[in-house]
Amino acid sequence: MRISKPGLSSFLVLVVASVFIAWPVFSTGSGIYYRVLSLACLYGALALSWNILALTGSISLGHAAFFGLGAYGSALACQYWHWSPYVTIFLGGIIGCLYGLVWHLTFRKLRGAAFALATLASVEIPKVTIDNWDRVTSGSLGLIGIEGLPPVRLWSLTLDVDRNLQVQCFFLVLFALSVLYIHVKAISSRWGWAIRAVREDETAASTLGVDVLRIRLQALMASAFLTGLGGAIYAHLMGSVEPALVFGLHFSALPLVLSIFGGRYLALGPFLGALILYPADQLIFHSWLPAGHAALYGLVMVITILFFPHGIGEWVQQETKSV
Amino acid sequence: MLVQLLIDSFSIGSFYALVALGFSLIFGVTHAFNLAHGELILLSGYLAYTLGKHFNIPFVCTLPVCMLALVFVAMLLHQLLRRVKEPFELNSLVVTFGLALLLQNAMLYGFSADYRLIPLAPVPTLDFPRLHVFITKPQLTLVGLSLLVTASIYLLWRKTFLGKALRATIQDREAARLAGINVEHMSLIAFILGGMLIGLAGPLYAQREYLHPFGGMEATLIGIIITIFAGVGRIRGILLGGWILGGVESTTVFFLGASWRELVSALVLIILVIARPAGVLTKGARSAKR
Repeated sequence: MRISKPGLSSFLVLVVASVFIAWPVFSTGSGIYYRVLSLACLYGALALSWNILALTGSISLGHAAFFGLGAYGSALACQYWHWSPYVTIFLGGIIGCLYGLVWHLTFRKLRGAAFALATLASVEIPKVTIDNWDRVTSGSLGLIGIEGLPPVRLWSLTLDVDRNLQVQCFFLVLFALSVLYIHVKAISSRWGWAIRAVREDETAASTLGVDVLRIRLQALMASAFLTGLGGAIYAHLMGSVEPALVFGLHFSALPLVLSIFGGRYLALGPFLGALILYPADQLIFHSWLPAGHAALYGLVMVITILFFPHGIGEWVQQETKSV
Repeated sequence: MLVQLLIDSFSIGSFYALVALGFSLIFGVTHAFNLAHGELILLSGYLAYTLGKHFNIPFVCTLPVCMLALVFVAMLLHQLLRRVKEPFELNSLVVTFGLALLLQNAMLYGFSADYRLIPLAPVPTLDFPRLHVFITKPQLTLVGLSLLVTASIYLLWRKTFLGKALRATIQDREAARLAGINVEHMSLIAFILGGMLIGLAGPLYAQREYLHPFGGMEATLIGIIITIFAGVGRIRGILLGGWILGGVESTTVFFLGASWRELVSALVLIILVIARPAGVLTKGARSAKR
């Protein structure tokens, strides 16, 4: 059994991360750095949310379903009912959460590879439905001109989240840190111990008085809600969504890659994976290989599973321990 | 109309059986869940397209080239998957998922995101106006080749010693090993046969449907659906499953339109996975608990 508590190594990782995050304050770098860091935080949040479910032992290959539903739910509510994006973002999360409930009800008995396959197939249901529901969702063309996040007034300060990239970056850091908090709880609180017990042996866990189904439901709902929230934020940041993109393999695979690369059993692992891999992809690979730069993620996934299945976070931890 | 629907289902279904056969062979013998199956078919399709377009090689001659190339690729895949650790099924699933992503982007880089189709030669179509039935020549090639290959695999399966050894490996790896069967060799042979089947399916796929770097998941799902339906190593079951799935899809396309097809295959897969958890996938469930 693997025990991980936020210790010295996690503290070091946190320092690295905060250097990353604090960097835009002190430098006057161009907009692309803010953009990359913001999106790294968004993807980090997605990876952390995915991992909350994965901690119970269920590997999902279909988180794009929650992401896409969150994005579409929020964008459509914004477009038809003219609600504030800050409200519709939560609506997007709730829609993701509801689909998570559907997963729980239908896939309750599935484990391991069967669960992974079922989730992979379940992405097609919302995708094809939205693709064909032309009147409401404008079909495969997608939605464009989605309202950006409106400015926030804090006393005399006006924070323009939509246009000021610096503010946007901090907004996403805040989002990632809140998800991180929940993820830490899913590892090291009493709830986290229950989750771990479920992962290691469900029969033994239920003998000890852990309500296995409830723990799995809670983890799945939390994961789906946060992923839906991430999808909704993405929709308002980008201003456009289309079914082939937001329900694409990319958004199912990315959280998986980042988590496995960073270390699935560490509180900061998935976030660390995002902070390293996403900037590497965008700043190095993208300029080098414009079409097909996402091949990096596939390559990293294969190499990680083959050579260091516990991710690089684990490796960092062992290094510091030996020191 | 009904006759036309039946003929379409039959021809698509036979092709689906060919797609599933490769998946089922590899999965049955080695327990490797190859999520990159569809991407490999696309790769073979692109290879045939390139050969036909830039080197003017006739379609029939591209088939052996593609089969040979894909056998090589499948052997590489075998080398890769041999190194995957326990729990094998779940880990192979994740590795091949990554491989699928890698192949998609490599194909995007190599062949661009344009839709490609192997152009059909202007051929006479069998037309029965009184029955309102059309049969095109590619359809005949498709059905003929698919059934021919399925039949030859069936003969190999039932009539040769190698087939017997492969079947024994599927039934119980440990017992097969005790009986003196080299299970490692059987895995390699399964990958070689699977590679041949994938290599054959690719050009046929490219003739029937547009190639797009991100379009492989559909073929993978088809392979998984039919394999779960039939159970591993049951060739007649695979053929039956292919026809049923072809029928269901053709009917959907006929009544609802082509855009709903993916939804139907996804729903069929989910229903099968839920209805048969004790079937093919029990091992995955057990090892995943660890």
